[in-house]
Amino acid sequence: MTAHTWGSAHDDAAARALCEVALGAASGPGVEYADVRLVECEETRLYGRHGGARDERSELNLGVGVRALREGVWGFAAAPLGDEADVRAVAGRAVAAARAAAFEGTERVTLPPRPPSSGRYATDVTTDPFTFSGRYGLLDQALAAAGAPEKVVSAEVGLNAKRQHRHFADSEGSRQHQHLVESGAMVMVFAADEHDVQRRSYPNSFHGNTAAAGWEYVESLRLVEQAARVGEEAVALLTAPVAPSGTADLVIGPAQMALQIHESCGHALELDRILGDESNFAGASFITPDALGTLRYGSPAVNVTADPTVPGTRGSFGWDDEGTPAGRRELIREGVVVDFLSGRDSAARLGLTPIGAARADGWAYTPVCFATNVFLEPGSGSLDELLDRLGDGYYVDDNRSWSIDERRWNFQFGTEVAYEVRRGRRGRLLRNLSYGGVTPRFWGSVEAVAGPEEFRAFGMPCGKGEPKQWGFLGHGASPTLVRGVRIGVA
Amino acid sequence: MTNREGRDGMRPYTGGDRAVEAVERALAGAAGADEAEAFLTVRSGEYTRFAGERIHQAQDIVERQLMVRVVVDGRTARAATSRIEEPETAARAALDLARGGGAKGVYGVARVGPYPEPGLWHADVEEWDAAARSAEAAHVIREAKEADARAYGMFGRAVTELAVAGTGGVRAYAAATEASGALTVKAGEGSSYWCDLGRSARALGLREAASRTVREAARARRPVELPDGVHDVVLGPLAAGELLHFFGAFGFTGQALAAGVGAVARTPGELVAAPCVTVADDALAGVGLPFPFDIEGTPKRRVAFLTEGRVGEAVTDLATAAALGVPSTGHAHIAREESPLAIPANLVMSPGTTPDEELVAGVERGVYVQRFWYTRAVDPGRTTITGVSRDGCFLIENGRITRPVAGKRFTESVFGLLSRVDAVGDTLATQSLMNVWNGAVTAPALRVRGFRFGPRP
Repeated sequence: MTAHTWGSAHDDAAARALCEVALGAASGPGVEYADVRLVECEETRLYGRHGGARDERSELNLGVGVRALREGVWGFAAAPLGDEADVRAVAGRAVAAARAAAFEGTERVTLPPRPPSSGRYATDVTTDPFTFSGRYGLLDQALAAAGAPEKVVSAEVGLNAKRQHRHFADSEGSRQHQHLVESGAMVMVFAADEHDVQRRSYPNSFHGNTAAAGWEYVESLRLVEQAARVGEEAVALLTAPVAPSGTADLVIGPAQMALQIHESCGHALELDRILGDESNFAGASFITPDALGTLRYGSPAVNVTADPTVPGTRGSFGWDDEGTPAGRRELIREGVVVDFLSGRDSAARLGLTPIGAARADGWAYTPVCFATNVFLEPGSGSLDELLDRLGDGYYVDDNRSWSIDERRWNFQFGTEVAYEVRRGRRGRLLRNLSYGGVTPRFWGSVEAVAGPEEFRAFGMPCGKGEPKQWGFLGHGASPTLVRGVRIGVA
Repeated sequence: MTNREGRDGMRPYTGGDRAVEAVERALAGAAGADEAEAFLTVRSGEYTRFAGERIHQAQDIVERQLMVRVVVDGRTARAATSRIEEPETAARAALDLARGGGAKGVYGVARVGPYPEPGLWHADVEEWDAAARSAEAAHVIREAKEADARAYGMFGRAVTELAVAGTGGVRAYAAATEASGALTVKAGEGSSYWCDLGRSARALGLREAASRTVREAARARRPVELPDGVHDVVLGPLAAGELLHFFGAFGFTGQALAAGVGAVARTPGELVAAPCVTVADDALAGVGLPFPFDIEGTPKRRVAFLTEGRVGEAVTDLATAAALGVPSTGHAHIAREESPLAIPANLVMSPGTTPDEELVAGVERGVYVQRFWYTRAVDPGRTTITGVSRDGCFLIENGRITRPVAGKRFTESVFGLLSRVDAVGDTLATQSLMNVWNGAVTAPALRVRGFRFGPRP
């Protein structure tokens, strides 16, 4: 067995037969289009807390989700997969949901026809994370390292892996099978004294980091060494000076930039938000539909792309979850908005070509616009050269808190660490740095982005939709120099 | 509500007999373990999402997970499956994991205990079907249009099932109905919002709430900027409830208590809020989403967080309770992509006796805040959060609601705000904790003397 040949859904013929059953059952009067996603997913997670209990779990789910467009109105249904009868029932419920959702005067959507796209896609895997046996030792060593410094009151280490068969079929003839494999790890340390509690994390502060890769990704993290580092840094933060307030120039590290891109760029460019579909939950956007080619979002140094063909992150895939082939698209070119993150429904309403950003969490949720791999394209030069260019200011990284308004206009972030920079040299560690701003002004103040050798990408989960579903996506950047940022706002 | 057999009529998707059979089969499959427990969660939900001129996401979703935890020779592991037709496979997977090395650190399983019986099943949810929800969505879309506004929202219903079996003798099953509504109406540059959820559909009072939200949005059409500074505020029930979202992060969990951080560990019994503020996690309350037991089969009990402003206790699961040497309060939870963690699940702030209009009448000059948005903890140790106000926010002048004001960022200490509460409203509203899988928060309106909008000086 290879990393890609496990489970009951790896058999293309059997999975395809069930998909055909779903498509057959999701037909009938008025049904203009239907698609089915059959997904089998297995996930394993091992967590440990320093001095506390370990927890290990393995989770398997197999289900089917069917979407039907009936007389211009969508219906979606999903259920765990037991047998063929479940598939028929789900398809019938999707059509029934669409029928019930039609009302007099409703707006209807027409999808432009799309040529079929069929094939297979699989994550490159060197070491199958589901057969790797050294996880307990690695966890124990990392926990011991993270928890060793005095004043560390809590240290948690997690190791995780996921594999998914994602089958897609639609009434236009597309038949796709993707096999996605992920591996990841996280370290989170809290240190406390009588006055304060400080946190450090690795490789990222929100659930660590998970890559589209085998166990080789976890091995590349040097987890024990890095756990020791963040443990010591958490303690050092307890006595570090508090970062000042005022206006300052910043070099923002890749992990924090990943969140900055996610919150104040990726979400703002989601076309379903721009069109109002998420107004009741995830929010809208300050961007208007007529922004393409006209809205100056940032400085000429700001080039943002969406490219799920880049391998290695949670935004990497062959087709999105409504079957659109992955491709590289520019979103912001030299500071100007040139495209949106769109799916078929939202693109059709503006007469655009969908970008392939309709994504769904497993089989149980309907596809909505999520980022794919949305990256700030690198510029040139090393981090040291960028710090030289900064002169006096601060180097900040690793998110501690984040908040942004529903139009993605006004944001406030805090970072776990900040370092004073004087004449291009990194100096004192500072704690509790926060910065805030207004999205286009912030991006307009980007002076330079370091080169590709400093680029880092992170896989991130994101919540959207009602019921809330998780999107798994990738954001990346090189260290970025931003002038005149308001700091010390929290 | 469609059950598994595909017949209309509101019944649990799985049903008690089938659910208990599945967890018992899982338990039997774990024979050889020193201890074992199994739970099955099923949620069959229908969600009518609308935006502008259409219902854009009409959804009918069933999710299900059966999870087994085994303890073998001092090592423990869990395994889960969505296929309850084969629960033994999860038991075998858990045994294999535990025997293959497993996770060190063992705590036992729940023992048989009497379960409380909150009102979980409300037949009126049956009438809240897709046709009824579509009709209400169409109605509010029209009503908003007549007011030169646009409506966006979600009307939904669900049945949640939980079955638990354990080698400690636990056998439990419960099914609960759920009805929810949320509505954003936008008019010009202004907007208003309403949401509520609970076990009963009738209790939502949807038609009246929708009309009120349209009127408020129309009134908020041209908001003015609110200057930075400190204002007396009336926090509407949804804004007040948002403050409670953070009690887990502020140290009202067994994990924080065991680590020696947070409010319960560091300031037990201290007065951190006004005496008119009482907050509990109360899974047996008649509001929010009550439920009698957790996924470990432990009976839930009321856990007092703040009693008349004083810090109380923390929620626990079996693991954190064992670490602390206390019984579990019944708050076990396993979130996606996170380690298991005891969390509050049905937070309730006790109502006061002051009608909401009297809260406003007691403010000479200030702000009514309908809702907060994207609040996040900045410094959990100091209970500091940041976020923005939004939707139906208005100036209060001479004790009356007057001009609409635009949303504004704030960074404030939650305990600081609660210590400046001088009156508590008499009407409650419920909102979900991020999503309903995580629970609910119910709160009344609060009058707070001194709330800083804008950056800190």
